[in-house]
Amino acid sequence: MNSSSGMAQTALAPQDFSGLQARRQALDAYWQQGISGYALLRKHSDFIDHHLADSFEKSVPAGEGFALVALGGYGRQELYPFSDIDLMLLYDPAHKDELGSLVESILYPLWDTGLEVGHAVRTLEECIADAAEDFFFRVAMLDARLIAGSAILFEKLKGMYKTAYIEGKRQEFLDDMLAQRLKRECQYGRHTYLLEPQIKESCGGFRDIQSMVWTAHVVFGLKDLAALQEAGLLSQEEFNRFEQAQDYLVRIRNRLHYVSGRKNDQLFFEHQQEMAKAFGFTNARDMLAVEYFMREVYGHMQTISVTTDLFFEHVEETIGSEDASPTLKTLEPGIELRHNKIHLVNTERIQKSPKLFMRLFYQSSRTGSPLHYRTRKTITANLHLVDDKLRQSRRNTKIFLAILAASGSFRVLEEMLDTGFLTAYIPELAKVESLAQHDVYHVFTVDRHLLQTIRELEKLRNEESNIHAVINSPSILFLAGLLHDVGKGLGHGHADRGADLARQIGARLGLDANEINILDFLVRNHLFLSHTALRRDLEDEELIMRCAGRVNTPEKLAMLYLLTIADARATGPTVWNEWKAALLLELYLKIALLLDRKDLAEHEQVRGAELGAQWIRDKVSGLLPAANRTNFDLFSDDYLLSFPPEVIVEHITHAEKLAKQEILFLHEQKQESWSLLVMTRDCPGLLARIFGVLALHNLNVLAAKIFTWADGTAVDSIEVSSAIGETYERQDWQAMEDEMHLAIKQRFGLEHRLSRKLAPLRNKPQGVQQRLESKVTIDNGESELYTVIEVFSEDRIGLLYDITKTLSDFGISIYRARIGSKADQIVDVFYVLDQDGSKIEDPAFIDELRQGLKYAVENV
Amino acid sequence: MKKIEAIIKPFKLDDVKDALNGIGIKGMTISEVKGYGRQKGHKEIYRGAEYIVDFIPKAKLEIIVDSAQVDKVIDTIIQAAKTGKIGDGKIFVLPVEEVIRVRTGEKGEEAI
Repeated sequence: MNSSSGMAQTALAPQDFSGLQARRQALDAYWQQGISGYALLRKHSDFIDHHLADSFEKSVPAGEGFALVALGGYGRQELYPFSDIDLMLLYDPAHKDELGSLVESILYPLWDTGLEVGHAVRTLEECIADAAEDFFFRVAMLDARLIAGSAILFEKLKGMYKTAYIEGKRQEFLDDMLAQRLKRECQYGRHTYLLEPQIKESCGGFRDIQSMVWTAHVVFGLKDLAALQEAGLLSQEEFNRFEQAQDYLVRIRNRLHYVSGRKNDQLFFEHQQEMAKAFGFTNARDMLAVEYFMREVYGHMQTISVTTDLFFEHVEETIGSEDASPTLKTLEPGIELRHNKIHLVNTERIQKSPKLFMRLFYQSSRTGSPLHYRTRKTITANLHLVDDKLRQSRRNTKIFLAILAASGSFRVLEEMLDTGFLTAYIPELAKVESLAQHDVYHVFTVDRHLLQTIRELEKLRNEESNIHAVINSPSILFLAGLLHDVGKGLGHGHADRGADLARQIGARLGLDANEINILDFLVRNHLFLSHTALRRDLEDEELIMRCAGRVNTPEKLAMLYLLTIADARATGPTVWNEWKAALLLELYLKIALLLDRKDLAEHEQVRGAELGAQWIRDKVSGLLPAANRTNFDLFSDDYLLSFPPEVIVEHITHAEKLAKQEILFLHEQKQESWSLLVMTRDCPGLLARIFGVLALHNLNVLAAKIFTWADGTAVDSIEVSSAIGETYERQDWQAMEDEMHLAIKQRFGLEHRLSRKLAPLRNKPQGVQQRLESKVTIDNGESELYTVIEVFSEDRIGLLYDITKTLSDFGISIYRARIGSKADQIVDVFYVLDQDGSKIEDPAFIDELRQGLKYAVENV
Repeated sequence: MKKIEAIIKPFKLDDVKDALNGIGIKGMTISEVKGYGRQKGHKEIYRGAEYIVDFIPKAKLEIIVDSAQVDKVIDTIIQAAKTGKIGDGKIFVLPVEEVIRVRTGEKGEEAI
């Protein structure tokens, strides 16, 4: 910013161009180079001034009886490439005869340049009278500036204007201003983050900035932003951010005029890419240049919108302070209700007791009253107090979930987001804040879309009360609504990435295992119903069976159905319509009726899964040659539901070879990863040995499905990628297979080899980047048969080896595992039993195990 | 020139579109429509609530082709859209008097 405006100044100054046209062409060169900023606006305005003063003096040499006045943006010396030039010729009625020729000599040359000129010719009295009628003229007068002519006349005008419209008129001015703001909100929307923001008129645009400056001028006599800051109306931090945002918008508007070749202040979809390029953004792997760019735009507009909102609330309160003594009600220690606003009684309170953050929002939700602007400012200024302790507080979670599922949660969440509390409390959401999606479907940025989803869920609670009634824990549905797109912006597969993050968030919030599973399920499958309804044959009974198997219970189906509708409605006007609603309803009813059929199974919980598993059993036996006598009792439902039938058939076929050879090792190139299959007899420590060999060969484990058939055959399906960017062809698969054989037969020194290989990593300088905290949970409630261990940690090569080796050292057998990693973090889930084949229930052992795992994970 | 209108099951839309592209049909108009024919609407009762599905969602394609191509296009649509069950849809063929490209003013086959 500074460098470009600096350049404009030094480079432009010495040039001298003859005509106005030539001068604009000179500017053109700068616009083309993308140079913009205030200096250029000023330069442009100076050119026009210069030219007008010239014409004026040629026509009225004495300068008596006339004053040429610049109004509005031109008055402020802010001229964008295609801005209107607002002029007013003020005249003394005694000189009326000269008027005609003066107007001609001033305006005609301007018209020739193709500039839009707004002009008016008025006497002093007319000015004052017109200003009474026209709000825009009235505020334009605030920026009036004399270009040429009689200074006396101009000063008279200013004096009369001040007496008529400023002195003692603060309340009227404010009322008019607020009415205009409201009108603008109705016309351009309340939001800064619509798909194609209008950077002049929308919320967070220039009009907001000017309204604030004008109001500060009239009400407090403060001339500019710096004065606002000095008067304490803006903190230093707010001032800096605001100024930054303003400068950014100036550059955008400059460029936008240039790019569109006309006076255009709307950032249309088709301009966005070009603008992003002009602002130096480039495409990254997971995000487009235009998405980075729009994120900046939305972020800055958000700053302006929040700051001006706070400002106007302050002004309203200041001016309206003659009111009767406020009705005051203490809601709880530290929180009061005054004039229908929630107040924090004093700032120190929140510093001593950060739990007040959530209590404030809770009271706002309970009473339906918004937070007072000073309380909102206090929250924003103290966000550093939102720490892990608060994030993990069960009591806090309880309140948060209550707010989510209460009516009016949208408004409260909006306050949470605008104050910054939401992203402080759930840091995972920071990645989707102001995140735009460059397509024509998504009207909102991701964070706003999530809030809209909550709003739609609330509507659905009434509209679909029947379906909603099936749901026992609505707060989990609302939480899923808030988190369903949390995986956006991280690359492909946002539903899976989001589900892993949601699981991590759920664990931190202290949800129980069942709730976490439902949350995970909802986020992971939030596109499943709509994809199926639109792209699959709903008369295919097998399909409905499979869906029922996946969804499993009527409650989960009801939640997923409502989430699907809310998500679609919250995306944009083109996404949801009756046609899609009809298809989705059909799918919903078909699955619901199937899940409800009492004759299919007795046990409600497993009915759907059993159905799905049974379907796969039938399908698999249909694919196998008739002579094959595979005993299907070998396979758990869980295993059957984890692979497509064709893959299970492959496993069965491979297993026959295991009679002759001990280990089967297969690898295959997939689109984005390599897929490995290891089959052998299960034995203690098997997984550690496999992962050890993978680490030796620089392979990152992206995902793994680990199963053991009832006959002791281990089936390990592992997705990997090369940590050093090796190609599939050049990877030494033979060596890996050989070492895998040796390792599994315990003839390979994994420990010392890995230790030597990883040594250089251990000496990495510390503290360059803040490390994510690792976490180990050991749970016996989640599964009937197994103890479930979850490990959250930063990813690194050899990590899985260290974890599984530790488990094996404790004599623990892993029966199933799910390895998932996203970004640079890893979430591993192991279903295990101890040496005697029992669940791990001794508290001392659980603690020891947790310590051991934490050590293994953290001590590189 | 003829206009071919095909009403098909929504999930078959991609298949039909691909198949038509495969025989060189480059342009078509697609809309989401609702209606009923032999596959009547129906009433579902789930947990005491009635859900009436009186119009069934379908996809409609409109294609303008040279008369000589009509049979080929029809065969292609049938092949791609057929499931063999009630509700697979219908195809209508209508005469077209004239086609004009707005941008250039071209008429007839040129404009298709």
